[in-house]
Amino acid sequence: MELTSNIIIIIGTVFMLFGAIGILKFRSFSLRVLIISKIDTVGAVTVVIGVALRHGISFFTLRVLLLLGILLVVNPMVTHIITRTAHVSGYNLEEDRGQDDT
Amino acid sequence: MQYILWPMLAFLLLYIGMAVRGPSMWDRMLGMNLASTKVILIILMVASLQDMGFLLDYAIIYALSGFIGTLFITMFWGTRKRREKEKRDGTDQ
Repeated sequence: MELTSNIIIIIGTVFMLFGAIGILKFRSFSLRVLIISKIDTVGAVTVVIGVALRHGISFFTLRVLLLLGILLVVNPMVTHIITRTAHVSGYNLEEDRGQDDT
Repeated sequence: MQYILWPMLAFLLLYIGMAVRGPSMWDRMLGMNLASTKVILIILMVASLQDMGFLLDYAIIYALSGFIGTLFITMFWGTRKRREKEKRDGTDQ
């Protein structure tokens, strides 16, 4: 049980590593939002499941699962809000896309 | 297990660096939001390592407050920038 949870947590960290690489690679905002928010939510969820597995069935795991539920709901919602407000308030995506070609 | 904390801290600093460097304001919002997710994971790991159950409540509260903070900031700045845009375009979408 200990080993499997450690492996799952390491996998989650590897996902987040991809997120970090994504930030360094993509300059334009739209691409960044699209990729990194997804990768980070996946990485976070994997790590949380790994921690939950580490403690088996107990009150600790219940709270971790509650946190998992919150993370699953909140993260995509925040990304949506940020992107939508950026778009509505006139953040010009066309001139932004050009940055990525350089 | 505790060695996972170091890369997590590195990611946290990276996202804060992205927030500082981000060209547009929305990059900054995104960076800070992702940084707060990292903080939640660090709290979670410390809680599971030290077997302190009460730390989890802090992580939950932090997740919710980060979300609400972002919500208010985007609402505030969104309407302000939209008004500027409408003034600039001269049309009322």
